[in-house]
This record gives sequence, C-alpha cells and structure tokens, in this order.
Amino acid sequence: MRGGMSGVWRIPAALAGLSVVGLAAAILGDGIWDWLCWTTLSVPLAVCAVKLWRQWPGRSASL
Amino acid sequence: MTPASLRGWRLVHRWTSLICSANLLILCVTGLILVFHHEIQHLMGEDLDSSYTEGQARLPLQSLVDIAQKADPALVPKLLSFDPEDKAVNYIYLGKPEERGFDLGRWVVLNGFTGANQMLKQPEETLVGFLLKLHVDLFTGFAGQMFVGVMGLLFVVSTVSGLVVYGPFMKKLAFGILRFGRGTRIGNIDLHNLFGVATLVWAFVVGLTGAILSFSPLITGYWQKTELAAMTARHPEPMTGPAVPIDQVAAAGLAAFPGKDLAFIAYPGNEYAGSRHFSVIVRGHTELTQRLLSVALVDAETGVVAEAAGTPWYMTVLMLSGPFHFGDYGGLPLQIIWALFTIVTGVVTVTGFVVWLKRPRARSTSDRTASGAKLGSKA
Repeated sequence: MRGGMSGVWRIPAALAGLSVVGLAAAILGDGIWDWLCWTTLSVPLAVCAVKLWRQWPGRSASL
Repeated sequence: MTPASLRGWRLVHRWTSLICSANLLILCVTGLILVFHHEIQHLMGEDLDSSYTEGQARLPLQSLVDIAQKADPALVPKLLSFDPEDKAVNYIYLGKPEERGFDLGRWVVLNGFTGANQMLKQPEETLVGFLLKLHVDLFTGFAGQMFVGVMGLLFVVSTVSGLVVYGPFMKKLAFGILRFGRGTRIGNIDLHNLFGVATLVWAFVVGLTGAILSFSPLITGYWQKTELAAMTARHPEPMTGPAVPIDQVAAAGLAAFPGKDLAFIAYPGNEYAGSRHFSVIVRGHTELTQRLLSVALVDAETGVVAEAAGTPWYMTVLMLSGPFHFGDYGGLPLQIIWALFTIVTGVVTVTGFVVWLKRPRARSTSDRTASGAKLGSKA
C-alpha cells in the first residue's frame, strides 16, 4: 500500500519518461540511438510481462 | 480534484472508449500485422522489384517518363514520386491532359535503374493492401478515413481521461497489483490499469499520429490551397513554348537545396504546380530530415528556379506522424516492440470493455462494502 499521489505516480511517470526517450531516440540517429530506443521502450513491456507472470492465477502471489 | 469533476472524467473515459473500441480492435489486429508489411510482402512475393547492381547508373527521368507513357499513350505525366527508403522505386502518375487533380489517371511503378515496369495490384488483391484498406478507411473511401480519424481522436481523449481517473483509483493500491482471484471485474480492472498506464505514452503517440495521418488529405489540401497556391500565384505566366527536359528541372530544383534528395516533381498545370512552373519537392536523408520537405518552383521554359521555400509546420507534423505511427524508424527490433505494444493496447481495449460489461447494475448492491462502492463508481 502506498499513501499519497506521489507514490501512485512514481512508476507510471518513470515508464512515461522512458517511453518518451525511447520514441524520440531512433528518429535522431542510428546505431547507439537505435539501442537507446529498443532498451528504453522495452521497459514498459517488461514491467507488464513481469507483473502478469508473477501474479498469474495459481502462481504463489508475490509482488 | 472534486468528486464532481472526477465523475465527469470517468464519464468521458467511459464513453470515448466505448465509442471507439470496436474500431480500435480492428486497428489493433490489422496494425499488428501491418507493422511487418515489408516482411509479409516479401514472403508473399508482393514486393516491388528494386534490384540493381552496385554502381549502376540511374536511368534519366525522361526515359522513365517515356516508358511510363507507353503504358497509356492517351495520358500525360503529372507527378513523379520517389521512395525515400528504396531508391530504385519510382512512382509516376499519368493523367488526362486537362486534369488538375489525381483521380482520373493511373500510377505506373518503375525500377529507376532498369526501367522495369511493375504492375500495381489493386489493394483488394494483396494481403497487405487488403489489411491497409481495412485499417485506413474500412473500405469506405474518404468518408471512412475521416471516420477512423475521429475514432483516433476519441482514443486520444480516452488515454488522457484514463490517466486522470487512474490516480484517484490507485490511491490505496500498489502499482501493478493484479487481483485475479477477486472476480472477473476486479481482475480486468487491474489488468486494464496496469497495461493501460504502462503503455500510455506509446498509445497516445500512436493514436494521435494515426488521427493526423487520417486527416492527411485535409492537411495537404490546406497547404496546397494556401501557401502553395500563393506561391504559384506569384508566377502566373502561361506556357508559350516547349518545356525543358525533366532532368534539367530536377537538377535545378536540387541545386536550390544542396544535399537534399528528390521527393516529388509535379508537372505544370496540376494542382501542386504552377501554370508554367514545375514544383520540385525535396527532402533530407536522415531519419529525421527525410520528413522535412522543401519546394522549388522551376520555370518550365527556362529551367530557372523562380522561388524556393520550406513547408509550414503542419506539413512537418504530418510528415513526422508517419514514423511515429508505423514504428518503421528503428529496424526490426522496433517493429517487434511496436507489435508487442499493439497487443498490450488490444488487451487494454478488451479488458476495459469487460469492466464495462460487468458493471454493477444496481447501486444498492455495490454500496454494501467499502471496496464495492469504490469499484462501482469506477467505470
């Protein structure tokens, strides 16, 4: 349980920031910029996957 | 936020989402496949012939135009279009001599190195063409495209309003909690909240750019009727003699913008050019600058550039909407990432709909427990 709005927004804001960086990166250049794009944009997807995996029904619940 | 304004945002979120959800699902399914349109076209043998040997010289544009015209000698060239990704692919529009628009003629696709003529199949005849048509206008032409654009705008409002109602709802809940054991509605709410908030920026950007692309005929038309029309109106001289060769026109246009590539050349007399001036439209060649267009008016009788200008901000916004909607600017890994985000968005759409379907019908039952009352006012 988190109290207050800042706790609610901390992770979503971080994921949003990573998404913005990732979306912008690959348009600015190739090579390192592409890698920056792929890694940052993978984080929101990975968070979805991990949360789903760990709380899937029948799996021992651990957050 | 006051309870009244929160109720308002919840209504906005519910109705914008519900109205666009059916179309959104179609967009997700078709879009998921279209992300890989190059790969699919290649597998289906539907890709355009872009073969040439290293160091081979391009054919002069005049030769390409001559080859194209053989396909239909009654028509005249109106527009040349150059593929930014594949420099061997050239599109040539042939129209009736008096035609100013682009409705009555036909497109010819040529390999710019070999001159090989490639038949463009009707969209219904190829898998990618079929999916694209379904994605863009639901097979209903311009009206359908505007409809999809409005659905896109509703989706954008739905993402923003979803973010607004997320905060109060999650106040006492840990980020990413998924209470699957607590019934269909709660499980779907949690999955909807997690997937929705995690992918919100992507969904917002792809939704907004998709809406902008839907309205591209209006945006391009506005530019053509205002800035471009004003530019050509400053050079109203009629044609009195023969035109200089098209390759000279292209070279003059390119010389006005050193380091740029050809994007389009519009022949005098169509709506994107002057009465005796070609429009040579050029672009840069990095991921970013290939979306920035500039235009030079080239006098068809003298081959001299009469005027050169950039394009207004809304044309740049339109051009930049392409990559941020298609996800085609960061190689295959980005395409895969795009596809995964599309799947997540599809899940958000379906779970949101389920939450609405399973809404408590009677207030009295949901008010019995504190948590029930909270969930009852959610969707």
